[in-house]
Amino acid sequence: MKLITAVIKPFKLDEVKSALQAFGVHGMTVSEASGYGRQRGHTEVYRGAEYQVDLVPKVRLEVLCDDEDADDLIGVVVKAAQSGRIGDGKVWCTPVDTVVRVRTGERGPGAL
Amino acid sequence: MGPEPFEAVGTGARPAGARRLASFAADRARRAASADRWLASLLGAEPGVALVAVGGYGRRELLPGSDLDVLLLHSGRPGIAALADRIWYPIWDSGTRLDHAVRRPAEAREVARQDVRVALGLLHARHVAGDPGLTSDLRTGVLADWRSAARTRLAELQVLHEERTARSGELAFLLEPDLKEARGGLRDAEAIYAVAAAWVAPGPGPRARAAQEAIMDARHALHEVTGRASDRLVLQEQDEVARVLGLADADALLCHLAGAGRTITYSLDQSLRQAQRSRGAGGRGVARAGRLRGGRPRSGPQRRPLADGLVEQDGEVVLARPADPSADSVLVLRAAAAAAEAGLPLAPRTLARLKECPPLPVPWPAAARDALAMLLGTGQAAIAVWEALDQEEMLPGLIPDWERVRNRPQRNPLHTFTVDRHLVETAARAAALTRDVARPDLLLLAALLHDIGKGWPGDHRVTGEVVTRDTAHRMGLSEADTELVAGAVRHHLLLPHMATRRDLDDPQTAAQVAATVGSRPLLELLHALAIADGQATGPAAWNDWKAGLVADLVRRVEGVLGGQPPPTPLPLRPGQVALAEAGQPAAMVTGSEVTVVAPDRPGLLWQAAGVLASHRLAVRSANATSHGTMAVTSFTVAHPYGEPPDAALVSSELRRVLAGELDVADQLRRQGMLGAPARGTDRPWLAAPKVTLVDDASRTATVVEVRAHDAPGLLWRIGRALGECGLDVRAARVETLGAEAVDVFYVVGADSHPVTDAPTRGKIAAQVLSALTG
Repeated sequence: MKLITAVIKPFKLDEVKSALQAFGVHGMTVSEASGYGRQRGHTEVYRGAEYQVDLVPKVRLEVLCDDEDADDLIGVVVKAAQSGRIGDGKVWCTPVDTVVRVRTGERGPGAL
Repeated sequence: MGPEPFEAVGTGARPAGARRLASFAADRARRAASADRWLASLLGAEPGVALVAVGGYGRRELLPGSDLDVLLLHSGRPGIAALADRIWYPIWDSGTRLDHAVRRPAEAREVARQDVRVALGLLHARHVAGDPGLTSDLRTGVLADWRSAARTRLAELQVLHEERTARSGELAFLLEPDLKEARGGLRDAEAIYAVAAAWVAPGPGPRARAAQEAIMDARHALHEVTGRASDRLVLQEQDEVARVLGLADADALLCHLAGAGRTITYSLDQSLRQAQRSRGAGGRGVARAGRLRGGRPRSGPQRRPLADGLVEQDGEVVLARPADPSADSVLVLRAAAAAAEAGLPLAPRTLARLKECPPLPVPWPAAARDALAMLLGTGQAAIAVWEALDQEEMLPGLIPDWERVRNRPQRNPLHTFTVDRHLVETAARAAALTRDVARPDLLLLAALLHDIGKGWPGDHRVTGEVVTRDTAHRMGLSEADTELVAGAVRHHLLLPHMATRRDLDDPQTAAQVAATVGSRPLLELLHALAIADGQATGPAAWNDWKAGLVADLVRRVEGVLGGQPPPTPLPLRPGQVALAEAGQPAAMVTGSEVTVVAPDRPGLLWQAAGVLASHRLAVRSANATSHGTMAVTSFTVAHPYGEPPDAALVSSELRRVLAGELDVADQLRRQGMLGAPARGTDRPWLAAPKVTLVDDASRTATVVEVRAHDAPGLLWRIGRALGECGLDVRAARVETLGAEAVDVFYVVGADSHPVTDAPTRGKIAAQVLSALTG
């Protein structure tokens, strides 16, 4: 099993969610996050006053999946989240030892 | 084994299907009786000891998940530890949760004296088994102690009550209330009995007793449904609890509980206030005795005027003697505003008399709109007053649609409050943002109405806009103001939605919002409303993350909409032009308007304002401008209470000021009006005053914008601070919206030019700010 984590622009969440649902993913965890990557925040000029935006608001999305689905899922997220501009975000994949569904106690892929 | 085992709960297993009981109260009493029999059999025939039920068990209110609260009283006999083990072990073994103590009656009284929680439990001590004399000694002693130390005990009770409220919120308005701990919950119902046990207020009336029973039944059903001793009625259990109680659905359950919680809160508040007053009356009794012995005669209760027709007495707001509710339709709102401003409750008899007020005419007079804005502008203080108006059923007379959102739950995990409380909470939070908008009064009104459409089927923004237009017309708002408030209600979700769902870097996003919003004043209202709404919804609905996105969007939309010039002074009317052209200093008072004409010189505006303040006239608006070399200032004033000052005296003093014969500062100092902190500074939840120097608004003058809570002599304070910076006020536009002052001053330096150097500009802002905060 794998955990796919994606940090994307907030306004892309709806698109990514629909793409994942179309792919057959029914559960995900979404949290509000802020951070920066290569762009290092940005500087804006507003009415002559310059102000620095250090941490850019992002959405963090986590999906658990079977090993064989991982690459396809990453592709789906990347395609939906892409605007082609700086700050589009990152997607990464980590191996998962075990998963338990709390309600029933099921373990492993059956709990996904 | 002889004894009948007690029905233990707490195994963690959820019952397959909770029972519907014919009478929950009978079931609780049956459980208590069964526990009594069990304990009696465990004690057996032992001399010199007694088993005493305390707390809820003492009141025979034993719920499925309740602890068994037992005290083993003894007269100092040997071997008590072994006896206690013999009783406690079987209880522990049965899985029943036990709250136990082993004490002598004197020890128990001592512990109760130390800890008010123990004392509260012992007020309901009930004999279960053993020597009844021991129990009766304890009961008599504990009650006597409670009464003799009533003053400190009730103060402790109040502290506990306030701590619980701060921790658990208010039962009536929470969507997932804690039935025991929340304000208006079971602990508060018990507190009413505790106040009564001190003989300072009557016990709960039939309504309060029925309300307590209703909440207890819901807690009972919750224990049945969850199989646990849970007190918080969470969303997922509400349908099942409603079914067990025989109610239609979760909404009906919450409505039912909201009514009960409000009744308990209201009864406890009244009990505590009555207790306080009877303690005060004790003090008066001593004074009366002093007079009988020839002491100094007392001068009756202290009364402090608050507003026209309203005074403070004994920590409550009551009607002044000349006030006539039957002839004064604005009195309800004025009383509410005065109470909230002073942070005091309206006296029950005053609330009863306010019902005699005739309904407000449609459209409302300006005084009613002002009073409503003033009430809402007090922030947190408005909530209790609004609740009192609600309890006395006076709200439908003000806002007919309020009835449709009253106690209405929201099926949404983000929301913390029922619709009506959410509206009031939003207005209270908006009060902290009034300095950020040009129209604080409209912000507060939009906050109060933004979800009013939830009382009707369909999209609440659309229905809300319709209701808001109706309400705004009833209130007599101008067409332009009605448009603003209706627009704010219609689009109150626009900014949060667009900020989180659209690409802010795409210029189209800001352009689209700008096209929908159309103006800076509406954008400001929407921004402040989004913050207040988010904060009042709940912790999941608003955080720095969302606030940052919305603020970013607003900055971009501001860029598209362009700047909004500050208000400019109004043009002179023909009469004023004629006066100015006469070229002679003049001061006139006609009705509520005061006009001052004089050759322009620094300090004119604030000295005139000082004279008005010294006569306790409140400046509601002012307009200062020049005509040739003559300065023309007109004030609209109001006298908050008492007899209006003599117009001839005011104009003669104004003329003496113009002639340089009167020192205003000295006069105010003698009246004690100098140096007193401005009103509103004692409320940390309200925004601090704001002073802004606006660039590029005028080529000939520097524009100073001041936003602050209105206070007696405010204009005088600001003007004097500007004067001390060596500035001359060329023109000014002063408005009071509700309790908020929105003032703009066009000032020049000694060289008659705008102030450009940064240190002086910084000094101006700091000086004015310090004059405002006293």
